[in-house]
Amino acid sequence: MPLLEVRDLRTYFATRDGDVKAVDGVSFSVERGRTLGIVGESGCGKSVTALSIMGLIPKPPARIVSGSIQFDGNELTQVREAELENLRGREIAMIFQDPMTSLNPTLTIGTQITETLRRHLAMSAREADRRAVELLEEVRIPRAKERLKDYPHRYSGGMRQRVMIAIALSCNPKLLIADEPTTALDVTVQAGVLDLLEDLREEHQMAMIVITHDMGVVAEAADDVVVMYAGQIVEQASSLELFDRPEHPYTEALLDALPSLEGEGGREARLASIPGRPPDLLDPPAACRFAPRCPFAGLNDYCSVEAPELRELRPSHWVRSAHPASERAAVAV
Amino acid sequence: MVVNPQQEELRKRVLTRSGRVDAGAPIRQTSLWRDAWYRYRANRAAVIAGGLFLLLVVYVVFGPILSPYDPYAVDFSQAYQPISWSHPLGTDQYGRDLFTRAALGGRISIGIGFAATIAIMGIGIVYGSISGFVGGRLDNGMMRFLDALYGLPYLPFAIIVTQLFQTVNFYVMVIALTIASWFTAARVVRGQIISLKENDYVRAARAVGARWYRILGRHLLPNTLGVLIVFVFLELPGVILGEAFLSFIGLGINPPKASWGSLAQDGRDVYLAHPTMILIPSVAIAWLILCAFFIADGLRDALDPRTRET
Amino acid sequence: MTTFVIRRLLWTIPVLLLVILFTFVMMRQIKGNPFRKTDRAVPAAVQANLDRKFHLDEPWYVQYADYVKGIFSLDLGPSLVLRNQSVNDIVKSHFPVSLELGAYAFLFAIVAGVPLGMLAALRPNKLTDYLAMLVANVGFAVPSFLVATLLIYYFAVKWNVGLPTSGWRSWDSKILPSIALGFFPMAYFARLVRGTMLETLQQDYVRTAKAKGLRRRRVVGLHVLRNSLIPVVTAAGPLLGAVITGSFIVETIFAIPGIGRYYVSSVSSRDYSVTMGLTILYAVIVIVGNLVVDVLYGFLDPRTREART
Repeated sequence: MPLLEVRDLRTYFATRDGDVKAVDGVSFSVERGRTLGIVGESGCGKSVTALSIMGLIPKPPARIVSGSIQFDGNELTQVREAELENLRGREIAMIFQDPMTSLNPTLTIGTQITETLRRHLAMSAREADRRAVELLEEVRIPRAKERLKDYPHRYSGGMRQRVMIAIALSCNPKLLIADEPTTALDVTVQAGVLDLLEDLREEHQMAMIVITHDMGVVAEAADDVVVMYAGQIVEQASSLELFDRPEHPYTEALLDALPSLEGEGGREARLASIPGRPPDLLDPPAACRFAPRCPFAGLNDYCSVEAPELRELRPSHWVRSAHPASERAAVAV
Repeated sequence: MVVNPQQEELRKRVLTRSGRVDAGAPIRQTSLWRDAWYRYRANRAAVIAGGLFLLLVVYVVFGPILSPYDPYAVDFSQAYQPISWSHPLGTDQYGRDLFTRAALGGRISIGIGFAATIAIMGIGIVYGSISGFVGGRLDNGMMRFLDALYGLPYLPFAIIVTQLFQTVNFYVMVIALTIASWFTAARVVRGQIISLKENDYVRAARAVGARWYRILGRHLLPNTLGVLIVFVFLELPGVILGEAFLSFIGLGINPPKASWGSLAQDGRDVYLAHPTMILIPSVAIAWLILCAFFIADGLRDALDPRTRET
Repeated sequence: MTTFVIRRLLWTIPVLLLVILFTFVMMRQIKGNPFRKTDRAVPAAVQANLDRKFHLDEPWYVQYADYVKGIFSLDLGPSLVLRNQSVNDIVKSHFPVSLELGAYAFLFAIVAGVPLGMLAALRPNKLTDYLAMLVANVGFAVPSFLVATLLIYYFAVKWNVGLPTSGWRSWDSKILPSIALGFFPMAYFARLVRGTMLETLQQDYVRTAKAKGLRRRRVVGLHVLRNSLIPVVTAAGPLLGAVITGSFIVETIFAIPGIGRYYVSSVSSRDYSVTMGLTILYAVIVIVGNLVVDVLYGFLDPRTREART
């Protein structure tokens, strides 16, 4: 049984003009010990999906309209808030995008680590302090013992992210959700953090969800990949499969958009981008949501009227498109 | 970038679930000011406050003109009339119609309020721009000077300034209240100028050789406009209360001249038996202040959505 | 940290000198000689004597120097109108009253205002929020003389609760005036706390705290509150000054023998030295209040604390 199974999740945000359908029918699963990458552009709903799993969506405007989130046998959508509080930090942990603002500036790093430990593991103050030092060392913070008493503003961005990781791992969760863990960091620091995450994941035998818009990060860190667009999943496969044989035109475009030093034109070549913008999720089109930007969509294709379903093109390779690569190759001559 | 004409066509043709054509297209953009106006309009409280504010202004402007009563005529036989059709707010101990006097008083009070606020803005802009724009030691010195002035408590300072003059009238009040409260405006303007100065578009303007007055006049000041507009409505209550307090204790506008504060002073000795005399100007003041605050809130939200609450 | 405090204290001296200078210059410009106020015709010789006694015939800078000297030896000079009292006397007998009134008012403002603001922030846009903000907005907009008169009218007269409405002797005579004076600051705090809490609740680190599974009590009580109160403390400084100096309205209505009333009467009777002395006293209070707040701020916010050591 997979550790986490999300089925047909729909999270909507109530606004004056109606519901913004941020997550509109998303299903995936995460196996123990494996890493799932969720990739997509800003606004596609990947962060909201993660927050929905944790129950951290702001409840007044947002709500989970339907769907199920099964974690380790528990149905999270039915569970009371107090139960969720017990799960967060203990069974499922999350680290966020911006390390500069994710830590409380008026509390010491030590306090912010130990409070989690003491909340979930009933440790004494001294035990918690000792464990906190161990954790900081695990995430490779030098002079951990002294730095425990420091405030966040004395740490650099990369170090703060490591602290966030330490906090997340402190109670040995079964699942770690990393929302754009490297986006706010320098490129040089990114690699280090990703490495760290991978090492720790193996050590602690955790499952991980990495959310990013960077295909490079996905290639580096993910075992399985889910590509999201406009609140829906448009392609789902193992990482190797996805990079080897991408099917959805959007995935292909994302891969194309990666700048490369080889290929025609080399460094002089223009950067490829995807023209147009994602649809307004207040009133999404009934047709394929990618159609206006899709190079293969024709005016007379059914996808310009009706939305294509997610279908299993190959074993464990799902695509939501009327023009997946393999079918195009078959038709074109 | 070549856009596929088929894509354009498709974009226009795509129907939404609700049947609206083109709804799958991305969101439209509007200009900053129109956007702000829409946002302001969407804020129900701000719109209502704006309306009530205008209503008050109409009342004080037209009230005395339309009223058949002489606000200064003393007629003891008409003293303490209750609220009635002929006297919508009753009369005071001298038989003067309160509806008229309240309107007349409003002219003075609101007039002082706006005049002082505008003067405060003026001084604040000059002082703050110089300090913020020039920076360095001049800025330091000017700010230290300002810090020193902060040590002078508002009301006592205003009182002292009023005493420089023979009698206290409208202009004296404006001057006194302005002098006693321009500091915050200067600070705000300076803060804005300093933060805007660092923006890239200022650097770009400098790079093409724009002179300081152009940078200040064309780039910096217009962008502080938003903050200043909000500030006007935040400063107004303070000034109006200042006038009310000073007049109430007898050191401002004194009866028989009407201002909301002097009306309150009229009612001071008789409030136990006739509370309406203090109530009326107080309600008027409170009305104005509440409106000003909601308008300021609405303007702030409209002009800078990032500061919005939930 | 101590160097910071000392440096700030030293700065207050030139500020104070400047304040004295201002008041002095202004008072000098005020036309009207206090001695002419008394209706008794003063013969020229006596007038000259009085002038000499009070140094009114000396050039202004000498008067100023004398005055400053006096201030630093804590002698605020004699009253020009109330012949047998010096300003010091007035201060000594009436300032403690005003101070006490201000302190109680402030206490009321914090005890009533902060929880009100918190309540509103934790249930935004619901009924509790609207009611709490209704109270706060009304308290903010209504001038204190109305609050004072209404309190007297209802509590003491209409409902006859038996709370005294004048004087400052028994403990229950202190209740109504403190509430009257503290009503505006209470409203100010309530609005401020609501605003800062709402803002803090949106911060990323609050989301992190929730993601760690911390109980709501701790998230709000520690993470949110500590950060929300910092701007409140900053606002408290100038507010304290405003409370103490604005007490004259409440003192007038409740017939409380504080310095506020003396201030007002000294202005209308052109008693220079009392006005000057009291203005300077007020200024000192405001400056000290700001200093205390600045120091307190350093304690609360570790980022500024470090910047100052």
